Amino acid sequence: MSEATAGRADSGNLDLRGDALRVLDHNELFGLQEYVQQHAAKRELEAAPSDEEVEATLAWSRGWEYRELNFAREAVVVNPLKACQPLGAVLAALGFAGTLPYVHGSQGCVAYFRSHLSRHFKEPVPAVSSSMTEDAAVFGGQANLIEGVENARALYHPDMIAISTTCMAEVIGDDVGMFVGSAEQAGALPVGFLAPYANTPSFVGSHLTGYDSMLYAILSLLTKDASPDAVVDPAAGSRPRINVLPGFDPYVGNVREISRLLDQLGVDVTVLGDHSDTLDSPADGDYKLYPGGTPLAAVTAAPGAVASLPLQAFSTRRSRQLIRDTWGQPVLDVAPPIGIRNTDAMLMAVAEATGTEIPVEVTAERGRVIDAITDSHPYVHGKRVAVAGDPDLVLGLLSFLLELGAEPTHILCTPGDADFEAAAYELLHASPYGAHATIWTGKDAWHLRSLVLTEPVDLIIGPSYLKGIAREADVPLVRFGFPVFDRHHLHRYPIIGYAGALNLLTWIVNTILDELDRKAPDYGLDIVR
Amino acid sequence: MTGQGSPGRTTVRVGSAAGRADAGGAESCSSGESARRPSCPLPTPGAASGGCAYDGSAITLVPVADVAHLVHGPIGCVGNSWETRGSLSSGPTLYRRAFTTAMGEHDVIFGGEARLREAVLDVGRRFRPAAVFVYLTCVPALIGDDVEAICRDAAAELGIPVVPVLAAGFAGTKNAGNRLGGAALLTHVIGTAEPSYTTAYDVNLIGEYNIAGELWQIQPLLDRLGIRVLSRISGDARYAELTWAHRAKASMVVCSRALLSLAADLQSQYGVPWFEGSFYGVRATSEALRGFAQVLGDPELADRTEAVVAEQEARVAARLTPYRQRLAGVRAVLYTGGVKSWSMVAALQDTGVEVVATGTTKSSPDDVTRIRGLLGADAQLIEEGNPRDLLRIVRESGATLLAAGGRNRYTAMKGRVAFLDVNQERHQAYAGYDGVVALAAEIDRILSSPVFDRVRRPPPWAAGTPSRTLDNPRVPLGLEG
Ligand code: SF4
Ligand code: SF4
Repeated sequence: MSEATAGRADSGNLDLRGDALRVLDHNELFGLQEYVQQHAAKRELEAAPSDEEVEATLAWSRGWEYRELNFAREAVVVNPLKACQPLGAVLAALGFAGTLPYVHGSQGCVAYFRSHLSRHFKEPVPAVSSSMTEDAAVFGGQANLIEGVENARALYHPDMIAISTTCMAEVIGDDVGMFVGSAEQAGALPVGFLAPYANTPSFVGSHLTGYDSMLYAILSLLTKDASPDAVVDPAAGSRPRINVLPGFDPYVGNVREISRLLDQLGVDVTVLGDHSDTLDSPADGDYKLYPGGTPLAAVTAAPGAVASLPLQAFSTRRSRQLIRDTWGQPVLDVAPPIGIRNTDAMLMAVAEATGTEIPVEVTAERGRVIDAITDSHPYVHGKRVAVAGDPDLVLGLLSFLLELGAEPTHILCTPGDADFEAAAYELLHASPYGAHATIWTGKDAWHLRSLVLTEPVDLIIGPSYLKGIAREADVPLVRFGFPVFDRHHLHRYPIIGYAGALNLLTWIVNTILDELDRKAPDYGLDIVR
Repeated sequence: MTGQGSPGRTTVRVGSAAGRADAGGAESCSSGESARRPSCPLPTPGAASGGCAYDGSAITLVPVADVAHLVHGPIGCVGNSWETRGSLSSGPTLYRRAFTTAMGEHDVIFGGEARLREAVLDVGRRFRPAAVFVYLTCVPALIGDDVEAICRDAAAELGIPVVPVLAAGFAGTKNAGNRLGGAALLTHVIGTAEPSYTTAYDVNLIGEYNIAGELWQIQPLLDRLGIRVLSRISGDARYAELTWAHRAKASMVVCSRALLSLAADLQSQYGVPWFEGSFYGVRATSEALRGFAQVLGDPELADRTEAVVAEQEARVAARLTPYRQRLAGVRAVLYTGGVKSWSMVAALQDTGVEVVATGTTKSSPDDVTRIRGLLGADAQLIEEGNPRDLLRIVRESGATLLAAGGRNRYTAMKGRVAFLDVNQERHQAYAGYDGVVALAAEIDRILSSPVFDRVRRPPPWAAGTPSRTLDNPRVPLGLEG
């Protein structure tokens, strides 16, 4: 063996001489005859109806009659497109430096949150729970919480422990605020230790509510001395500063993009809270428990900023209220800055609030992205699209799709409410391309299946969970939103600002082109598109 | 008794006639309806821990492919976990649909029974499953929904079995849930029907979940020996085959500590003898095949088995040779939380890799003995599998590979260690003889990646800066799950 083999990293791949050594790919392996026969033999156990009957039923389940029956479904959710409150609370907590997300309840929920977030962000996710068991169910979870925060401090040395609750704790009526007080008395927490808490019962609300509640809890605790009368002198620092609220943002690239963009305006940014470094840290050999997050001192200073800019509305409701009412700070309530016109509106709002001007570099960047749109529009124009996801992402995406001349057809937003419906309706009906769209809230992926099978579309945009539907409907899926488990690195890109518009455009148009090529007859397989 | 051979062998353990209903000290909890026993280790509040009992029961039962699995609880219990289990089906895909009652505030206040009843009936009528399994979660358990009664009534109304799985999350760990899932089968499913015919070679496979198709990989071997798998519990299973598991002539518990109790109960209630084995690795696979012959007590089968073993071992040795040469001297740390520790140790050794340490967090004293047999007396056993210790052990032992579950993947990457997924998220089947070759090929591929060389080197402008790999005192404890 050569020297190269000893240094394994340089040794390259094994030369597989002949078939005997070849290890079949997983997709091919079970296509071998012996496995096909083995699988066929299982049918006898299934009391399976004939192939014809299966086909007929399947066809029926794809039709209008079944669609009606499907939408009459009340007690059961099939394939949910919604996560629960404390998962959002965990993400909010990860936005702050040295902060350990702590979920008061039984252990299983938090194990799910960790894997769920890990599978999307491809990063380790620290979070712990009170590990409540049957005893806690009977006697309440106070002892578990006290022991839990004490252990967590000893093991993980956090500067702040952000406590949310699972359904279990809510059902037995645990008073977390009181427990935190008891923990201080018992010496499990030093007096004054930062332990914001939020009630996050998942039988109401969604991950967005939970995100908001935890953000609210953290902001109120860290800025409890802020007053609406504090005078902000815009000329104080050399540059004006604004707070940016990303909300439940599945794209770590967004925070970096907004900071870059506003920096070009000459505006400094405090992100409340910034989970981008926490969930996208460098592979430098160090495994850090708290690799990022907004410094707590910056949060305390946040009420002194000129204004606050939420990038999402539905996951920041209470937090925005706090900023407006308690801090007395203007909140720039703009549409999510996805697409050109929404980014325009956001930049103008920031420029106005901070007394800055939009520089030529930004105008040039905008021009380049518009140029890209003109290059791609022939392929996107008139395409019927089904969209599923969380309210702000969906509203932003719809706005951009309408700008491109695509036709949003089915809009499904499981956590959406009446406000979402109104906003989506207004947006869609202001455009000829949105006139045929239908908006669905509270519905699940099984409803979406009926929608795309009865009223076909050219493209589906939404989370990985839709891949089965996309395959059945034989249309491509552009992965978008949360969670995306089965495509890599999309979450590292921004989707906001002009750069984000270009990314979205690229994903959408290239998916359409891939599909065009896949379905093209030989004579239509053009090299130039 | 089988396989009391040299210490280097993976031994097969055979259940004695007296049964192993207590399963020795091996089990942390007994097989009763309640997972709560004084000896049952409870999770530590404030320390990161793994899944709950409901999660465990779902792992054990959701692979049953033609059953509708309905989770009674608020949205998140299934909303945060569906479609992530890795158990494959050769036929129906119904088990992949996530059904939940998605309890709301109204249900929490007034009780979730009405909603559950309607949900079971809707799912039963709409999808016409072979059966409905209803999973209890913390909230309905706390408010006292009578899931058993609803299942009984709904079964009568639908004319199909409706099985309550009573493993609310707070009842304990994932292992406790595996066990409670097995208990649900024993109470409600096994023994409710008879197979159309039986043979002298009917066996159960217990605790094999067909991850990445591993059960399929094993089945042709058993076919060649004339062994018929009567019931798969539960990889690629259909409901019907579970109902007659009591008619098997033997059960094999496939490296699943938590389901030993099900095998033991099958023996004490129906006289089905059992043994514990594994299909990971050449030696283990051979021992497992021999185990069937032994427990079935058939000398002719034993002869056939020896012939097949000899032929397969020779064939696979030829395929493994180039990999074993390339993998010689490679050191690996294995951390699976302990359940599969000994079986994976053997498999990794068969690829030529040297296993320098392994996790034993969930291992029984028996397992530990077995591991020592495989690794030698001074093997390093990792009892507390936190990333700090894992990465320290990797560094100190000179290992270049960490073989562990998916949640450790990103920890390993931060520590610049090559990572092999040995849990349910992988997409490679490693069982049986050909599975070892696949495992060797995968390890070889991972280690050959130029990426790890890149990741270990500092940027060129920082040349001379010693790498601080794995050396951070602030690495947290216990976050591996
Ligand atoms: S119990 Fe509640 S908090 Fe826990 S996973 Fe289920 S929905 Fe989420
Ligand atoms: S611990 Fe309870 S509430 Fe949480 S996921 Fe498990 S069953 Fe659901």
